[in-house]
Amino acid sequence: MHPIFHLVAAAAATAASQPGVVSTEDIELQFAPRTPNQLMSFYEARGFPSAMTDILSKQCFITVRIHNKSDTTIWHDLDRWRFFHNGRPLHREHRDYWLDKWRAMDMPLASISTFRWTLLPEALDYLPEEAEGGNIILPRVDGPVSVTASFATGDDKQGKVITIEYSDLYCAEDKE
Amino acid sequence: MKTALTLILFAVGPLLMQGVDAGPLEPPKGIRHYAIGPAPGFTLVDMDGESFDLASARGKWVFLHFWASWCGPCRAEMPAIQQMSERLVDDGPVIVLVNTAENEDTIFSFLAEINMELNSLMDADGQVTERYKPRGLPTTVLIGPDGNLQYQAIGGREWHKPEYIDFLRGLAGEG
Repeated sequence: MHPIFHLVAAAAATAASQPGVVSTEDIELQFAPRTPNQLMSFYEARGFPSAMTDILSKQCFITVRIHNKSDTTIWHDLDRWRFFHNGRPLHREHRDYWLDKWRAMDMPLASISTFRWTLLPEALDYLPEEAEGGNIILPRVDGPVSVTASFATGDDKQGKVITIEYSDLYCAEDKE
Repeated sequence: MKTALTLILFAVGPLLMQGVDAGPLEPPKGIRHYAIGPAPGFTLVDMDGESFDLASARGKWVFLHFWASWCGPCRAEMPAIQQMSERLVDDGPVIVLVNTAENEDTIFSFLAEINMELNSLMDADGQVTERYKPRGLPTTVLIGPDGNLQYQAIGGREWHKPEYIDFLRGLAGEG
């Protein structure tokens, strides 16, 4: 059995839209919720049609940054992430869901391409010291969302499993 | 167009033909082996309206870099790429920048703002970039003289640092 490094992050959120950070000796995750206005500003400035921004502004966007602080490969795979709200699983749509949706709506190829780039990759091997990020999209809910993410490690994925739990994630709201 | 934005899709120096094997050079930290097959071909137009066909670089190493102005790490990395290009002017790979899915005004404004002399190809609808299936921006791939993908770097790199310069110079010079 692989050794499992298990961290329960109990960081207190100072504000719903403030980035949360979970850090171990091997990995650091930052969670930065984006408000609907932030989303609209970003995508509208890049010429996204309102048909896209109207839908996106109703979602819960979290910008995630993953930093491999270890000296071995860390394997990120969103299939190994679980989200919960009020004790129940919160379903995250795969990026293919969104790409298929935009294509079905006949949205501009450039917008679809840019949108794809802004998402956190579904899977990515992080070399030592690499730090990459992107957005994850969840259904917009009130109250805290918890996330559990586990990462395989090592070139052959046979190293210890790193499990991160963060229970103070919020969908950001526009300020009045 | 400002002279600062003169074309720098430069194939330079005595770039030698070599085989499929990427050779014994071990890449510096942050560059991974990526020998997955042929690099997808493309023809794109740069900001001066000049057409570039990837096939024209066959026989040389190609530093192919995908970027967008809205991408923070891309912006941060550009000066390093500029410096790298200046240091490799005689003995480096062909340097090709591809902007992903932005319009000409946006690209021009951005490159002028940061005083970049490098030109960029424009992948207006993002579909050339999609063919490379990179997993994040910026992404750089290194294409061997045989047209095969050999290395990949996801995210920004300090390309002007000696370890990267030496590696790229070594690739271009090995034969």
